[in-house]
Amino acid sequence: MNRLNHLPTLRINPSEKRSLTYRGKSYWGFAGDTVATALFANGVRVFGRSLKYHRPRGLYSLDGECSNTCMQVDGIPNVRTENTPLKEGMRVKGQNVKGSAQFDWMGFMDKLDWLMPAGFYYRTMHKPAAVWPIAMKQVRKAAGLGTLSPDFEMKGLFDEIYPTADICVIGGGVAGMRAALAAAESGLRIILLEARPHLGGCFDYRVSPYNDDKKLYERARELADQVRQKDNIRVFTHTSMVGAYNNNLITAFQVGKEQDEFDERYIEIRAVSVVVATGCIERPLLFEHNEKPGVMQVGCAHRLAHTYGLLPGEQAVFSVGHDLGLEAAVDLFDLGLKIPCVADIRKDGQDPRLLMALVERRIPLLNGWVAAKVHGGKQVKKVTLTTVEGTVRRMIPCDLLVASAGLTPVNGPLTLAHAKLVYDSHTGYFLPTDLPEKMFAAGRMTGRNHPLSIEASGRLAGLQAAASYGVNNKTALAEAETALSGLPGPERGCKLVTAPVKGRKTFICFDEDTTVKNIKQAIDMGFDVPELIKRFTSAGTGPGQGGIPGHNLPLYVAQYTASTTPPKPTTVRPPLVPTFLATYAGTNHDMCKRTPVHDAQVKAGGIFRRIGVWQRARYFSGDFDCREDILNVRNNVGLLDASTLGKFRIHGPEALKALQRVYVSDMSKIKEGRIKYSAMCNDDGCVIDDGVVVKTGENDYYFTTSTGRACVTVEWIRYHTRFDGWDFHLVNLTDAMGVVNISGPNARKVLEKVADADVSNVAFPFAGYREFTVKGLIPVRAMRLGFVGELSYELHIPSSWMPAIWDILEEAGREFGIRNFGVEAQNVLRMEKGHIILGQESEQRTNLLDLGLGFLWDRTKNEAKTVGAVALRQAEADPGRLTLVGIQMEDNARAPKDGSIIVDDRVRGYVCTARKSFTTGEAVGMALVESQLSDIGARLDIFEDECNGRLLYARVVSMPFYDPEGQRMKI
Amino acid sequence: MALTLTCPVCGKRNGYEFRYGGEDKGPRPAEKGLTPRSWCDYVHMNKCVAGIQKEWWYHKDGCGSWFTTHRDTVRNLEVNEPEAPK
Amino acid sequence: MGDMKRQSPAQFKSRPVKTDVRDHWVVALEFENEGPGPWLVDLCHKTRWDLQDGRIDEQTPSGVSVPSVPGECRFENRILVNRMNHTQAAVWLLGNGRAPELPAETGYTDVSEATVFLALFGPKVFSIAEKLTALDFTDPNRQTPFLLQGPFSHVPCQIVTLARERAGAGALLLACSRGYARDMVHAILAAGAAYGLCPAGENRFTSWLASMQA
Repeated sequence: MNRLNHLPTLRINPSEKRSLTYRGKSYWGFAGDTVATALFANGVRVFGRSLKYHRPRGLYSLDGECSNTCMQVDGIPNVRTENTPLKEGMRVKGQNVKGSAQFDWMGFMDKLDWLMPAGFYYRTMHKPAAVWPIAMKQVRKAAGLGTLSPDFEMKGLFDEIYPTADICVIGGGVAGMRAALAAAESGLRIILLEARPHLGGCFDYRVSPYNDDKKLYERARELADQVRQKDNIRVFTHTSMVGAYNNNLITAFQVGKEQDEFDERYIEIRAVSVVVATGCIERPLLFEHNEKPGVMQVGCAHRLAHTYGLLPGEQAVFSVGHDLGLEAAVDLFDLGLKIPCVADIRKDGQDPRLLMALVERRIPLLNGWVAAKVHGGKQVKKVTLTTVEGTVRRMIPCDLLVASAGLTPVNGPLTLAHAKLVYDSHTGYFLPTDLPEKMFAAGRMTGRNHPLSIEASGRLAGLQAAASYGVNNKTALAEAETALSGLPGPERGCKLVTAPVKGRKTFICFDEDTTVKNIKQAIDMGFDVPELIKRFTSAGTGPGQGGIPGHNLPLYVAQYTASTTPPKPTTVRPPLVPTFLATYAGTNHDMCKRTPVHDAQVKAGGIFRRIGVWQRARYFSGDFDCREDILNVRNNVGLLDASTLGKFRIHGPEALKALQRVYVSDMSKIKEGRIKYSAMCNDDGCVIDDGVVVKTGENDYYFTTSTGRACVTVEWIRYHTRFDGWDFHLVNLTDAMGVVNISGPNARKVLEKVADADVSNVAFPFAGYREFTVKGLIPVRAMRLGFVGELSYELHIPSSWMPAIWDILEEAGREFGIRNFGVEAQNVLRMEKGHIILGQESEQRTNLLDLGLGFLWDRTKNEAKTVGAVALRQAEADPGRLTLVGIQMEDNARAPKDGSIIVDDRVRGYVCTARKSFTTGEAVGMALVESQLSDIGARLDIFEDECNGRLLYARVVSMPFYDPEGQRMKI
Repeated sequence: MALTLTCPVCGKRNGYEFRYGGEDKGPRPAEKGLTPRSWCDYVHMNKCVAGIQKEWWYHKDGCGSWFTTHRDTVRNLEVNEPEAPK
Repeated sequence: MGDMKRQSPAQFKSRPVKTDVRDHWVVALEFENEGPGPWLVDLCHKTRWDLQDGRIDEQTPSGVSVPSVPGECRFENRILVNRMNHTQAAVWLLGNGRAPELPAETGYTDVSEATVFLALFGPKVFSIAEKLTALDFTDPNRQTPFLLQGPFSHVPCQIVTLARERAGAGALLLACSRGYARDMVHAILAAGAAYGLCPAGENRFTSWLASMQA
């Protein structure tokens, strides 16, 4: 097909070819083409088949408001080819067809529409129930959109950006550009979003005069140049706005051009003020077979010629309701389109210059006429025109029907922003009456059609947005208001909703194959609200959302029901246009923390698990029971990376008061050189954290928290002291200090070799705290703890020194059989010792007393208002609480899974941690049980996940299971 | 996602930088004379105003301040006005 | 023991071609193929102090006074003091010489080890940054250097905009929890790949700093 290469409005570059393949053949298009326009240029007229009836579908709007041109492109289904830019080498396939879009074996479905009245799916597919799964499969096979291969891999780069803007202008037509330019005068940072690949909106392809020396498209390009020259206007083209939220948060996505590094990117803009200038789309004209290939909207036909150089047909009948239709007819006639006649729904009120132009070209104009039906198999061959009253009919041969009822504003963005829309009987539009704060509307969507009015409204909105930002531009505002009021206001719009037809093949929604007849059926069944009719008939629930039926549906319902209440548009929701999930996912950086000796542990064979924000080595071999690691700690010495522990400094004159507030113990009793173990509770007395506190100086403490609490400790302490105004300061040293836990009977022998201090049991006893250096250089804060029940040192070391000290300890410990142990080995070791891990031996409702940690609580410090103390006092008298007990399985072969429940006729508790102990040879664990079951010797019935009713049995025994006298950690 | 809050230190930021700290209920009561019910009321009972309420927020991703602000719970917007009358 | 080394949490794939050993840190002075910028430089070996005091306005860490308004910074003698809130400031010692001793006042804590510390500078820096955060580095109402505390690639960070030049060039200093080093470096390099972001050595930063102050 020859292109109209001479047109100055073209947006394709005829010197740059792009190839694509479709149905096994290679085709050519040009840079600037969309996939669909390139196919159209190569003679393709049927692009796809409809959802239910497999009706052929073709180019209709070019802006992707319906699924007509959805195809599979490079393996991705449901690509709206009419606004997808053509890139070299694209592979295109039809979808929802058996055979091809042109010859679809499922085409007979169109004859079966009588079988599928409105809501048939809901009304027929429920009984008999047994048939349903089979029927469903068949229905799904016959109906649908594209399919996605299960092993399909989405290729490409999906980026995200969060640009900052003072004002965001949505819509890059002339109103939007004028708004951006006006707002930019005050130096604010402006972002301008345009859904098409270029600025210009409805001026971009029109050659009618703008003024004495410029045509409309020239004016648009002049403004676009001005916009580009402004440093403070940032333009995003091919960027569809998809969401508007509170406080003017605007989301959009941009389709990458060939030279862009991204395929699509998600854009999130927090603007202070917003101008919406999204213009209008055409309201689809309702008549029989109104979606047959060969029927297209005015803008589609007009843009095919002027933007892409494609004459949309040979012989065209126009059935329109607004001056843009007459303008297009005149213009396309001049480009070589034969036009037997133009039917205008309006009986009068047309622009006299356009009427004159039609007369000059001898194009007959039928005032008060409208298309009633198109004829033809897969494409238009003839059209029947009728008077709007349906009194007279006339049939005219043609291969193209340019049809459009009128214009309708793209007010989805306003709906998303919770603006109120009210039907305006002058324009026939839904117009905003109650815009959110700092949001303004401009341009054609406000009903203005005169080019100067459109521009003036844009400028005014831009200045209003700047003023709402806080710019003082009163004079300019007043001038802009005066200028606009002197120009033509909103124009009277065409109100005709449907041609005088029965509507069996009159499609109100193309995506879901919903006809006017279906809407009537729904109304006759009692549905009266468009919102419900939409759901019952599926109109407007397809990929194009409300693009095609959005405003026709409520208008039609109002007309058919002769409703006296004004129609209301159905709700739209983000995303306003179909968006890839990949685009929403963006680059998706999974941020997690690694300890300073991560690599050393990887090298040692560590198997890592994500624990909270951290990567931690859980095992060091494929034996997930960790037998060797556990026994090595009991018999020799093991090395554990405990760097994830929370570590804090608190200092300042009132640091102690803060500690007294959050810790249950009396923190004034901390002795120098000794560690104090304590716990924090919440206001319900439930334990949220435990750790040790060391006094390092006057009003100066160092304390540890559990791994999971590290990120909220500062928040917690500040929260519970927020009314007090105390002078204390917290420093989070969690990441600053690595922690090595060296445990086992040989631990001292290893430490002696490297520490520059006496670490004997006398000089550094159990529960002691010392500071010394290792190898004369590395500063160490050392604590003697016994979490795993052995002689154990916890060394806190500046993180950058951790790899070095890890090597030193491994080297020094080699002769004593040192080896790594991971979190799971530690878990078993401490369980044998009866030491708890919060979150494992506790849940949200477990308080300090339940865990047997009541001894930590100092009841005498009422003045401190310790968090949890009041609740603990109340809980002391409560008999209905769970108690932590030791359990031993009757069958020592294995332990139940963690979390198994303890039952009799109801749930009485649960197993916290249970393991087969390699140290004692018994299957033991800890459980939280109702206090009546907590006596030593009580028999517990354990219901394990997937046990099939075969219970396990345990007895309550005393704890700890290992070294009950606690000798080994004190040696 | 769309909520913004004005941190007294860092200024207006996206809501996801903050953690909600509940309605403002005033300082912790003295422990003396507290009944289980009055304590429970202080800790757990909320007014759940459909309108403007004074509440606590923590700037967890920023400066680490606890502060109070007024929010219209119906529109989910921070407002300058004081609390709605009780 | 002379051969014991401290290790930075930030590791780049490129090889350093020139290094310096400083206080047991192996400092990469120059990498191979640093490119024309933008650059990412590991400054983890630089000393950083946390200063918290009820009367912080009276403090003068290393002779630099603390700015009076949170979010403001003072940069003198290669010492950057960032006011964080009413009672807290961060002191970043950017010089290459031996860092001064931690002041004796109790309000100071050496937090050099707590964070990964990176410099991101050169052309297109703000285009890289906007891929990772909604924080506003280009606010015309703020004078450089200024501090923003907020999420960067979802991680809470302290970020100082040291300089802004025309056409989106500039310099950011960024500190976040040390444990995130690997993922943060990865996220920044990935975001900057389209703009030619490369790891660079300390020399690049030093000379950039010198040109900025000239």
